[in-house]
Amino acid sequence: MTGVAETQAPLEAVLKDEILRMYQEVADRPESTFHFYHGREAAELFGYSAEWLDRAPAGAVASFAGVGNPHERSQLRPGETVLDLGSGAGLDAIIASWQVSPGGRVIGVDLNPAMCAKAQAHVAAAGMRMECREGVMEDIPAPSASVDVVISNGVINLSFRKRRVIQEMFRVLRPGGRISITDIVSAKQLSQSIVNDPKLWAS
Amino acid sequence: MFRLLEESGFSRVRSAVVPRFRFRKAATQDSAEAYGVKAVMMTALKPAAA
Repeated sequence: MTGVAETQAPLEAVLKDEILRMYQEVADRPESTFHFYHGREAAELFGYSAEWLDRAPAGAVASFAGVGNPHERSQLRPGETVLDLGSGAGLDAIIASWQVSPGGRVIGVDLNPAMCAKAQAHVAAAGMRMECREGVMEDIPAPSASVDVVISNGVINLSFRKRRVIQEMFRVLRPGGRISITDIVSAKQLSQSIVNDPKLWAS
Repeated sequence: MFRLLEESGFSRVRSAVVPRFRFRKAATQDSAEAYGVKAVMMTALKPAAA
């Protein structure tokens, strides 16, 4: 008998490629139109302050592809260590780094090494520092109990193994640590045609 | 996801709908609404004793 994990493995690999392609496109061609809002228009829609968006490097703002505002309830404090799961072009990492300074730090995690490099450049241009680690959210590249806060914006829904992702967030948090995430959820089971279509799943 | 957070050991799980989230393309938004797709904001704590 073939298990669910075995049947989904090839699809998961295709999905990974589609996620890399789509979000690389947002980063490389932010002037394009996508079926989701992105860039400053999206950030303003979700309540990011104009002060943040004016202060952050234009490239980080233009490539923003979140689905909400995880900073609204994160209550970050100076000195805290924050892990940004799916750090993308780096806007959320930049905002987090402002909030945990002085003494804190932000660690980005992204599937795409080119995106990690771009995010680090944007954070540096904002006068801050971030270490971005290439990796997958189902196996977060961070030691257990090493961070105070996990933030994430529109990323966990992309995984076929959400329980594993959440267990990983729990593992890397210190006792007493917290998460502040925004993401897409569905009230109904998605049809198999959607599940089997990497373009739809990746969006 | 709310249930997964609780089952994974998180406490004080809270969620709220992101009120202004929508897809740009009308067809995508229509499909999303048909499936009850929405954006949510979630917070949760890892218990101090964990």
